[in-house]
Amino acid sequence: MERSFKEEIKLLRLKQGDTFHGEGILAVTKALLQSGVSYVGGYQGAPISHLIDVLADARELMDEMGIHFEANASEAGAAAMLAASINYPVRGAVTWKSTVGTNVASDALANLASSGVKGGAVIIIGEDYGEGSSIMQERSHAFAMKSQMWLLDPRPNLPSIVRSVEKAFELSEASNTPVMVELRIRACHVHGAFECKDNRPPAISRLATMTEPAFDYGNIVLPPSSYAQEKHKIEKRWPAAVEFIKRERLNETFAGESLDGQGALTDLGIVLQGGMYNAVIRALQQLGLADAYGASRVPLYVMNVTYPLIPEELTAFCASRKSVLVVEEGQPNYIEDALHAILRRADVQTRLYGKEEAIGVPAGETGVFPMAGEYTGEVMLRALARYFAATGAAGLDTERLAAPQRTADLKKRAAELLGAPVPNRPPGFCVGCPERPVFSAMKLLEREAGSYHVSADIGCHLFSSLPPFNIGNTVLGYGLGLASNSAIGPLFNKRSITVMGDGGFWHNGLSSGVSNAVFNNDDGILVIMKNGYSSATGTQELPSSPHQSQEHRATDMGIERTLAGMGVKWMKVVDNYKVGNTLRVLREAMTTPFNGLKVIVAEGECQLEKQRRLKPVNAEKIKRGERVVRVRYGVDEDTCTGDHSCIRLSGCPSLTIKDSADPLRLDPVAHVNNGCVGCGLCGEVSHAATLCPSFFRAEIVHNAGAWDRFKAKIRAAVIGVLQPA
Amino acid sequence: MSTMTRDQDTRPVTILVAALGGEGGGVLADWLRDVAVAAHLPVQSTSIPGVAQRTGATTYYLEIFPRTETGAPAKRPVFALTPAPGNVDLMVASELVEAGRAMQNGFVSARTTLISSTHRIYATSEKMPMGDGRYDGQRVIDAALELAGNAVLFDMARAAQQAGTVISAVMFGAIAAVLEKTRALPITRAACEAAIRASGKGVEASLRGFSAGYAAGMGAVAESAAPLPATPVPAKIPTDAFHPAARAIVAEGIRRTADYQDDAYATLYIRRLERVAALDRGDGTLTAETARYLALWMSFEDVIRVADLKTRKARFERVRDEVQARPHEPLHIIEFLKPGLDEIAGMLPPSLSRRFHAWAVRRGWAERLSLGMHVKTHSISGFLLLRALAGMRFWRRRTARYADEQALIERWLAAIVAAAPRSQRLAFEIALTARLIKGYSDTHKRGAANFTRIFDTLVEGDAVAGDDARADAIFAAREAALADPEGKNLDATLTRHGIKPRPPREQPIRFVKPALRERG
Repeated sequence: MERSFKEEIKLLRLKQGDTFHGEGILAVTKALLQSGVSYVGGYQGAPISHLIDVLADARELMDEMGIHFEANASEAGAAAMLAASINYPVRGAVTWKSTVGTNVASDALANLASSGVKGGAVIIIGEDYGEGSSIMQERSHAFAMKSQMWLLDPRPNLPSIVRSVEKAFELSEASNTPVMVELRIRACHVHGAFECKDNRPPAISRLATMTEPAFDYGNIVLPPSSYAQEKHKIEKRWPAAVEFIKRERLNETFAGESLDGQGALTDLGIVLQGGMYNAVIRALQQLGLADAYGASRVPLYVMNVTYPLIPEELTAFCASRKSVLVVEEGQPNYIEDALHAILRRADVQTRLYGKEEAIGVPAGETGVFPMAGEYTGEVMLRALARYFAATGAAGLDTERLAAPQRTADLKKRAAELLGAPVPNRPPGFCVGCPERPVFSAMKLLEREAGSYHVSADIGCHLFSSLPPFNIGNTVLGYGLGLASNSAIGPLFNKRSITVMGDGGFWHNGLSSGVSNAVFNNDDGILVIMKNGYSSATGTQELPSSPHQSQEHRATDMGIERTLAGMGVKWMKVVDNYKVGNTLRVLREAMTTPFNGLKVIVAEGECQLEKQRRLKPVNAEKIKRGERVVRVRYGVDEDTCTGDHSCIRLSGCPSLTIKDSADPLRLDPVAHVNNGCVGCGLCGEVSHAATLCPSFFRAEIVHNAGAWDRFKAKIRAAVIGVLQPA
Repeated sequence: MSTMTRDQDTRPVTILVAALGGEGGGVLADWLRDVAVAAHLPVQSTSIPGVAQRTGATTYYLEIFPRTETGAPAKRPVFALTPAPGNVDLMVASELVEAGRAMQNGFVSARTTLISSTHRIYATSEKMPMGDGRYDGQRVIDAALELAGNAVLFDMARAAQQAGTVISAVMFGAIAAVLEKTRALPITRAACEAAIRASGKGVEASLRGFSAGYAAGMGAVAESAAPLPATPVPAKIPTDAFHPAARAIVAEGIRRTADYQDDAYATLYIRRLERVAALDRGDGTLTAETARYLALWMSFEDVIRVADLKTRKARFERVRDEVQARPHEPLHIIEFLKPGLDEIAGMLPPSLSRRFHAWAVRRGWAERLSLGMHVKTHSISGFLLLRALAGMRFWRRRTARYADEQALIERWLAAIVAAAPRSQRLAFEIALTARLIKGYSDTHKRGAANFTRIFDTLVEGDAVAGDDARADAIFAAREAALADPEGKNLDATLTRHGIKPRPPREQPIRFVKPALRERG
């Protein structure tokens, strides 16, 4: 695993009265333990990977409390685990990256929501939206609406988040409904503090097991139960949820306050998602309408629960005001539309301001927020300034309202000074990444054979779509690469290639991809990047990982054996770093008369994980005086002509450029910096592509023995005599 | 932070750190947070690591309240999770272009102290072009000096390397200095160093890095890149006949060609250059640039040259230095050489070379003759092999490669000489097309093909009328060929002048696709 949480585990043991200082997602983990969960599961992915990672490291604590923890094979598996709460009064929580994880989980979630739950079932949703996101920009809100699960969106500070998680279990039990708690990226990674409670060991657990299974046909999703379940949702569960939310005051109303002798602006109001609270307060501060502690002249209604809405609370907040601003990040703007409907039903004439491109609303008339995109500090400030300008609240500081204009001017001036936009720096393959050589080989294949369609998959290997490779024509979902190629292959006059990681293979590729392809006698080529871990999400273990932790020692789930068992007849294993060989096997797969799925297992351990393992070992050896040979690569600047073709076939961060020492050469020459881990790709590529003779491998012998030193001495003597300056 | 406003003491100090994945930005945020917590200052930090940790650009954002906690939980400040343009007090960038990105996004304003490293880590898009695709870092420095209230710019990578630590420790030192100097927060140097000690990993090196950063932060002087010292012209090399602006390059050209072959070859270089210099009516640029590319071209990298350069003493020393091997540590150098059919045939006399090449291709030996070799230059046998090849210098003038290169050089020179009397600019642009001749093997072939194509159509052909228009077209075509050596951009550029794109290359591989009836 990329990060060890040995220190953080101590935080999970804190007691009543202790103060927790740490990351948001770890606070959630502590909240789960304080809520008496019997089981926890999930599937890794930013921004909630740390929740899974810390639990994996906290086995001891979990065992003491009897809590069952599972690193599920997929989000579908995690969601299905919540079935334990349908018949039995046990609390459980699962987590994943959303919306992608929720997509995968939605089959189980829809069934779960229909059956209803007896024990509290909570889903921690890492809403991967906006800056730093790596997925399509959608909202999880729609999932809550379609299955009628409740959605919490707490204010992004640790006490609020922890309280929301605890209340989510109570809400779930009070309304027999699964509850989702949504945390945005920065809220997951926010560092803050909260006052702890004692952990609560579950009444039913691995230490206190059940004896009698419960049967109730009413919980089975089949007619007529399914019809009754739908009615139950509307007639019982929903009203119960609304009642609970009101009673527990999960949503918060902040009346306007006087600041610096200026009165509250009670004609105005802001209705906002809890997660937007801090951004709204900051914008109000910048406009001189709130103080550092959050006291605001403008009244606020903060929805820590964004589904279901509470009509009575909303009409009560809006009725007395001339206008209200709705702060709802993401689209479609479900909340804004619902609020329109609620106010109309209640015949409240308060004017609503919200998204500028809301359908049916003339542009610029009542809209202040952009329809799409994250509500960053800049967007928030501009929108609030627009709202206050449009409503013409008296006594507002015009100087402050002009802040967005000053920002725009500042950016314009910066653009002028910089002349050209600075180069983008997207994430890419690490130094020495074992996936890079496979794409080098694919690039070489393209050179000899022309281009071919590549169906990509989710994982680090999708970085191939960026320069310098620009490989990957489509990407459809985790583990879905091969399935997504199934109609593309037959429609081409040549074969196409699918790239899938071992993470994707175990997640969904095995069933949706390989079994489908073998069953349908697909003629495609599948390259499986077997780097040993779920690398993009933080190098978590997979069933086929080479170095398993204690819990998984007994497992031996090899990809090759699995494929053979499924009837894959054409399978080759290649060592990624041998580019020439990989190229030869790719060529063979393209040209073989064999009709059927051809699988190339591209083997090379994730370099992040490998270095993490080897570095301390080698450092220790050198310290002890043992012989260690350090390998790294280099470029001769004498012979490098600065054409950079090596870079166009590699993109390794440590293969870079520098000014040429040659006064005649103006173009920079290639250069290997000290980040080099000695994977050897640059040398292999220069061979496979017949690039240039500039690459060399250097082997530095630390703690050389007597024989090493003797040889070096003789060589130096002989070469020294013959060598020109 | 430069101005003290009325609400200064009730507003959090905002710190935005821009770093690249793997540079320790997270550790820096941890240190800052620990210092604030130890000083009982309310603090919040966030980040968006995601997959950006895989070498991409990422940011960490902290807000620290300048007043110690009052104890009443209701009176805790509300911190923002995202930085707002125009609202950042301290902008810290671990690399120069990341400071540029921060300015582009509006995070550097008059209230901002900008702390940035001046070193560059090039983005892939800057490294890829065949020429020089680097972003002009001086623009970032100029922009920083205008936009930031205060700018602390220095080479953090060098400071980190000297201290034997990572860049985050240096950044931390500079931040500590600025916070102390501006009294923005009640945080002391000692408290920061205590945070480093408490983290318990690589403490001494981190403290050294911190100290270097602190000194730079206190100095707060902008550092600009020093211009490269001009190379003096050695007195014994006869360059007086040339324009003063060209002499340094001419001298290097003479030295290079003599080193490459012999004095006679250097004389040939001078004679060739004189033909162009005589027509140079400008500031010497035409002579200088012709001198540059003529020297590079005449010292083309054949097998003999490569073997010679690989076995020199200076090269052994450079490698030892570059890979950070200590003097007593044995160093092995293994070369990746792969002479192919072209290289082998290129060593034969022209007529024999052509016949051999045709024969080998006919036999399908083009691939088989491409021998990947790992030559151990540090071993006696490997060294002797390369020296033997280098000793083939006497044979060079008889080789096919030599004949080919000289013919193309003459063609190039003739075009410059023909153009110069009519248009100096046209001659200059033609001279610069030699920049396309670089690399080895396929890269060299593609570059030469692009060169020939521009010559056939724009230089010697009549696709464009008028010398100025022709010079413009050559400039555009050259830039296109440098940006994309595969020649797609070049084709697009030439198409604008009505020149047909090249037909697609033949594909040697036959893709087997089963016929429909065989399937399933």
